[in-house]
Amino acid sequence: MSIKYKTLSELKELLEKKDISSFELVEETFKNISSSKTNSFITLNEEVALTKAKEFDQGECEGDLAGLPIAQKDLFCTKNLRTTCGSRILENFIPPYNATVVENLSKAGSICVGKTNMDEFAMGSSNETSYFGAVKNPWDLERVPGGSSGGSAAAVAEGLVCAATGTDTGGSIRQPAALCGITGIKPTYGRASRWGMIAFASSLDQAGAFARNAEDCALLLNHICSHDEKDSTSLSNDKENYLENINNDLKGKKIGIVKEFDISNLSKEVQDSFEQSKKIFESLGANFVEVSMPNIKLSVPTYYVVAPAECSSNLSRFDGVKYGYRAENVNDLEDLYIKSRSEGFGDEVKRRILIGTYVLSAGFYDAYYKKAQQSRRMIKNDFVKAFSEVDVIMSPSSPSSAFKIGSKTEDPIEMYLEDLFTISSNLAGVPAMSIPHGFSKNLPIGLQLIGNYLEESEILNFAHQYQKNTDWHIRNPDFGDNS
Amino acid sequence: MSWETVIGLEVHAQLSTSTKLFSSASTKFGSEPNTQVDLVDLGLPGVLPVVNKDAFKKAITFGLAINADINQESTFDRKNYFYPDLPKGYQITQMTQPIVEGGSIEINVDGNIKTINITRAHLEEDAGKSIHDAYPDKSVIDLNRAGTPLLEIVSEPEISSAKEAVSYMKALHQLVTFLDVCDGDMSQGSLRCDANVSIRKVGDSELGTRTEIKNINSFKFIEKAINFEIKRQIKVLENGDKVIQETRLYDSLKDETRPMRSKEFANDYRYFPDPDLLPVIISDDEMDEIKDSFPELPNEKSKRYISELKIDENEAQIVSSSRELSIFFELAVDSESDPKLAANLLVGEIGSLLNKDNIKINESNLSSDNFNTLLKRISDGTISKKIAKTVLADIWDSGKDADEIIKNQGLVQIQDESIIQDVAQKILEANPDQVAAFKGGKDKLFGFFVGQVMKETQGKANPKSVNDILKKLLS
Amino acid sequence: MDNKTVETISYLARLKLDKDKKDKITKDLENIINFVDELQDINTDDVTPLANPLEKTAPKRKDFVNSKDRKEVFLENSPQSDQDYFIVPKVVE
Repeated sequence: MSIKYKTLSELKELLEKKDISSFELVEETFKNISSSKTNSFITLNEEVALTKAKEFDQGECEGDLAGLPIAQKDLFCTKNLRTTCGSRILENFIPPYNATVVENLSKAGSICVGKTNMDEFAMGSSNETSYFGAVKNPWDLERVPGGSSGGSAAAVAEGLVCAATGTDTGGSIRQPAALCGITGIKPTYGRASRWGMIAFASSLDQAGAFARNAEDCALLLNHICSHDEKDSTSLSNDKENYLENINNDLKGKKIGIVKEFDISNLSKEVQDSFEQSKKIFESLGANFVEVSMPNIKLSVPTYYVVAPAECSSNLSRFDGVKYGYRAENVNDLEDLYIKSRSEGFGDEVKRRILIGTYVLSAGFYDAYYKKAQQSRRMIKNDFVKAFSEVDVIMSPSSPSSAFKIGSKTEDPIEMYLEDLFTISSNLAGVPAMSIPHGFSKNLPIGLQLIGNYLEESEILNFAHQYQKNTDWHIRNPDFGDNS
Repeated sequence: MSWETVIGLEVHAQLSTSTKLFSSASTKFGSEPNTQVDLVDLGLPGVLPVVNKDAFKKAITFGLAINADINQESTFDRKNYFYPDLPKGYQITQMTQPIVEGGSIEINVDGNIKTINITRAHLEEDAGKSIHDAYPDKSVIDLNRAGTPLLEIVSEPEISSAKEAVSYMKALHQLVTFLDVCDGDMSQGSLRCDANVSIRKVGDSELGTRTEIKNINSFKFIEKAINFEIKRQIKVLENGDKVIQETRLYDSLKDETRPMRSKEFANDYRYFPDPDLLPVIISDDEMDEIKDSFPELPNEKSKRYISELKIDENEAQIVSSSRELSIFFELAVDSESDPKLAANLLVGEIGSLLNKDNIKINESNLSSDNFNTLLKRISDGTISKKIAKTVLADIWDSGKDADEIIKNQGLVQIQDESIIQDVAQKILEANPDQVAAFKGGKDKLFGFFVGQVMKETQGKANPKSVNDILKKLLS
Repeated sequence: MDNKTVETISYLARLKLDKDKKDKITKDLENIINFVDELQDINTDDVTPLANPLEKTAPKRKDFVNSKDRKEVFLENSPQSDQDYFIVPKVVE
């Protein structure tokens, strides 16, 4: 039996009916990974995964996700399993602790088969900045899968795993989900613990999930999200069952279209898909309302002050002293710092650290960092106002479909604009997701649904209803002609 | 030309919490290197800080004691710089909204009271320790201290001499130990200070260029370091040179300050709000709780000792000046033991013993219970005050129970007047010349007779009875 | 954003740019700064900076030791150590 492209729920059922054993499932997974050409994984966890699968088959482990193989983005610390964050500086780093998200998923019984490739320290939108090589898009191996969670997205899209974790700082779940034709969700900031998640920009980073559909994402969120005393920014809200409202009727619901999100200069296919999706929601009884978010145009520049500033400080701990890469043949301490960091970090990481250092430095703080924090509030206020009028906001997930590897590496700003539609939700902290909703020249494109604070259930409900009435999400790279 | 000195002190007080400011690792001093290091203290990737409630309680207690404003909403910022004992590459501190602002401390310099205003007191984490003498060509890092909560107390530049600086530091020391905010152990670095020193011509309104002397950890060194630095700066200016703004170290062996060679001057700390920590709010209820458990301060204690316990003013001040001494005193005194006697012994006899051994009362062999017993035995007439000193000396060496010493050494006071009468009679008979002289008007000889009786009874005779009986026999 | 600024911030960040990439990265940085300079034009009078999206307040932890000695693991995973300490090149104070 082929397990490729099966959903989480389907595999769960097969396991429950004992149509397949967890061991077979995990063994098959590693077989598929070994023949894959997408470079989705940095580190495999074969021995431990097979042992855990056997334990499940012998009835020794339970849980909602018991016996199911999943992949972890290599940004989550995994106890005794190498965690690189896509960087040379952590090439040999073996954490003595689990991220809370990893712990939660493990407690639910899932089996981690390996750590997925990613842009170095999650800085990138194409997965080309990984020290461990670019990830290839399973729909077209010459193209990028998006980033930074490109390995996770590609692994799910290729059917190597039915689910994977990701993190989203400016679109790092939604953009690769869109470019790989799968479903990905970033919950409200603070829903998932950041403990053990290697920080890029602490006030923006949020863990989330990739799966083949919204229902599976809801199931995953049930375990990914939790209050955590170890994370001061973790929300203390009661645990929610994200599956509960997934079948609600959309009749009378209001969907906001942001006036300032100009899609008229995007490709015809992107525009057409967007119009088609609107029609589908209309047929399900939802209404469209134009909302004005005048400050949303400030999102990308705001983000490129806040995120680099935080990252410049967050990445200071990688200094070659306590763990991680240390350069050889150093003259003195300064030399050790400079060589270890310069040899350990790639160019994009260096660029962002330098930008962050610059905007925080004496004399520039007010002009950049403070200003960006002020515009961040203005953007947040736009969301608060919009959500007083509508239930969800809808936009394309990314400006285009997957681009060719190497085509945007020369111009960082062009790359930054990949996150044009996704960045604002991180600045405001609201939940958002991407679902597949069409193709542009045989390449998938995504639809973004943004929800109000703590309204993950609402966007999952919209997404699930959409997927019940469309088949974009069940297409896969082996599907043949997708036009 | 005459110069005046302007000094501002930044005092770092390690808060006496059990755990670190942002992790649950112990802050105990003197453990094996790197054994009190949590994931957070090592600054591992992805780990996060959570604030220690008690550190806030202690900081606020200090703030209340100096009549400062307490910011019930305070925030944490990151101070970014690279140093091997700073594991995260930044120190978490309170730059923009410190927990304590304003307030003042009174200092006493040769009997003159001066008020030093406090700019702010903020919470921050301590760094680890770099040790430079373990290997010839390497330094080693111990992170046990990394993350220990510090209260940095910043004074206004209102201190005008090394002597005042020492008084200020002593006043702070007394306060923080009394409040149980810091253990005050300067030799272990629990309380240390950075001194910003500048000089200017008398009458100038603008401040001169200052230098900062880092990490001075004793009262003596504060005085010496500042005095050296003042002299150095005067020499520089009188030679027509300029004082360079720099950080200097005090070398106690050479008794001099010298510039630090590290490139710290090239730093730009790039402070910004720590995104891992949200604003810390102290509720009104929490404030009330802290106020309710606020300890009595030396001044109030001294006043209470005088008015309620009728203690001599000077003795009351001395007993209340140290936390250990006042706790000891209060534990030892009860309805059956005389507070005046207690204070008198603490200041006199016990004070000299403490000075001699250079220890604190809680480090001595004398427990408050045992002292209480001793006081009772004096009050109930079992022993005289004089004998009490003998007993005390024994306790000081052996730590034995007062009653046991009195019993074993037969020190119980002679109360039986017939015994005293017999002894007195014998003394008078043996000294007929003196008796005649006394009767002839030499009153001073009365003391001689008392002394002889006491000598004969090895000091155990009840002094009052001796007096009464001698008077009767000699009349 | 000139060479000197790039040198200063590189030093602060303890990074050294490869000679052949220095010009390109300097140019990139300049472009990025020009790009974010758009923020300079907006009116932010009376807008309170937003540091964290949810504007919650920090939880406070009880002062209770709950951490074990992990010295061995930490030192084992470090680039250079002896039995007790992390080791770095000689630091001059």
